[in-house]
Amino acid sequence: MSTILQDIETQIASLKTTTTKSNVGIVREVGDGVARIEGLSDVMLNEAIEFPNGVIGLALNLEETEVGAILLGDYSGVVEGSEVRTTGRLLSVPVGKGLLGRVVNAIGQPIDGKGPVKSETQYPVEKIAPGVMKRKSVSQPVQTGIMAVDAMIPIGRGQRELIIGDRATGKTAVALDAIISQAKINIAAEKAGTKDFRPLYSIYVAVGQKNANVARAVAILEAAGAMPYTTIVSAPASETAANQYLAPFAGAAMGEWYMDNNMDALIVYDDLSKHAVAYRQVSLVLKRPSGREAYPGDVFYLHSRLLERSARVNQEAGGGSVTALPIIETQAGDVSAYIPTNVISITDGQIYLETDLFYQGVRPAISVGLSVSRVGSAAQIKAIKQVAGTIKLDLAQFRELAAFAQFGSDLDAGTKAKLDRGARVVELFKQGQYSPIAVEEQVAVIWAMKNGYMDDVPVDRVKEFQNKLQEYLQTRKTDVLTGIREKAALDKDLEASLKSAVEEFKQTFR
Amino acid sequence: MKITKEARRLSSQLFRLSLTEGRLDRAKVFSVVQSVVNEKPRHYLGALETYQRLVRLEIAKRHALIESATPLSAETSETVVNNLKQKYGQDLTTEFAVNPDLIGGMRIKIGSDVFDGSVRNRLALLQEQF
Repeated sequence: MSTILQDIETQIASLKTTTTKSNVGIVREVGDGVARIEGLSDVMLNEAIEFPNGVIGLALNLEETEVGAILLGDYSGVVEGSEVRTTGRLLSVPVGKGLLGRVVNAIGQPIDGKGPVKSETQYPVEKIAPGVMKRKSVSQPVQTGIMAVDAMIPIGRGQRELIIGDRATGKTAVALDAIISQAKINIAAEKAGTKDFRPLYSIYVAVGQKNANVARAVAILEAAGAMPYTTIVSAPASETAANQYLAPFAGAAMGEWYMDNNMDALIVYDDLSKHAVAYRQVSLVLKRPSGREAYPGDVFYLHSRLLERSARVNQEAGGGSVTALPIIETQAGDVSAYIPTNVISITDGQIYLETDLFYQGVRPAISVGLSVSRVGSAAQIKAIKQVAGTIKLDLAQFRELAAFAQFGSDLDAGTKAKLDRGARVVELFKQGQYSPIAVEEQVAVIWAMKNGYMDDVPVDRVKEFQNKLQEYLQTRKTDVLTGIREKAALDKDLEASLKSAVEEFKQTFR
Repeated sequence: MKITKEARRLSSQLFRLSLTEGRLDRAKVFSVVQSVVNEKPRHYLGALETYQRLVRLEIAKRHALIESATPLSAETSETVVNNLKQKYGQDLTTEFAVNPDLIGGMRIKIGSDVFDGSVRNRLALLQEQF
């Protein structure tokens, strides 16, 4: 009997002696956030590797005798001769609803001082985009709350719409407006208890931004009450290039969690030009061959694989969507530069912001001629399609005529009417920052414009007319607005009641 | 000194020449180095430097460093060496070292593989879990 006991005891003892097998390497060279490591014979591409003091690295170059890795976090403790070990896992970040309202860095660690992130799940940072069979076409709208965008350049859930423009033309403002609008819609629907409502959660990825700008964005979102629906991934200019390179991928991983769990997410990549610059730096210090403008050959693939991860998937694959709003900063309006053309060709359209318009006081400074949305019109609700169907064309015609009319004073009545209408539409589409307009109000206002109720209002009072009309509808005619919101289309009855409401309002407008 | 592409190519050619059946051949290594030194082809210094590194890494692959907190008894070291030779082949070279930092247990490093059964490692694992 005692021998059996002894046997068991030895068995247990042998279980307790844990000998771990690991694969190690020695740092031969370190600098600029990149380490070259000798050894690591079993390392995989894109595997997370562990340096002393818990610093994590990412193996990017596997060469004959060396491994090139980027270092994430504080790497001042990593010196020549440090021992590195493989972890056997890909670099991953925490995902889930625990991240809402938080500010995290490129590897998902909180930097807002609100304690650890509550998250059970981890997603790999690099993931292959959903394939053809998993996808579904875009059919639900993202209401940005910006009238010019929602009416002329509509965005659908699962779309990738580029926001492009020079510095200080309001690119970030457009993106933040979209985020704030989502939060407002979410809050309103939660309050009303709308059935089958699909909230849209936002992720704002700041790459290479000034720390002050990120702080301002956080403050704006907090003031607007949008933070409870938003995650901010921050890799500001003071972070290493490696972190800046990773941040958008981390944001995409966080978005994918919503997509896989039948929810919708909106990601803003602010901005991808700085991301390309960070990746160029990483590539150059890793001694990868450089190409045009010293960008590495795979800079196109860098952005295409990132943006391909925004999709709308069918029920079997999760049923959610990720909408991407990448931002690109151009130099002196040059959209034909290397990175802008790359990203334009990847995305499903672009919102082009122009400096000239901005200084003319047209804000948001959206250039109607150059902005397009390739898939969004399928996602517009019927009501807005009914009222805004031809507005883009009208506005384009107005621009052409306006340029022509500068030379002559006597114009025929038709041309004059077109010019007058155009000037009022331009005025109507001016909108203050961080004040999104609900879609039903947009429909009502554009309807009033389209049916000539603003033709006798002086151009400088159009904005006032619009604001007062909105206020009137909100306070006195809520049934009309609710009707538009619920039916999502303008039928005969609704149009009649809208007509009477606008006529009634017009009596009071002086 | 920057090692050129040609030097690197030459060195890997030299390295291939010094193998017999996939194993490093001592005699061949000597003759290869000797002939390079005599003939002095283009980029020979860079090539030799890279060659040395390749040989060093190849030797490390077939060399076991056995560290323990206290000197091992002859019996234990023999068992360890025999077991390792069974696993990695008879031409494995071994080296014993005493490292009090391990606190207890043994740590064996062969090439880039590390088998760590030391108390230090177990403490580190424990620390990670909490």
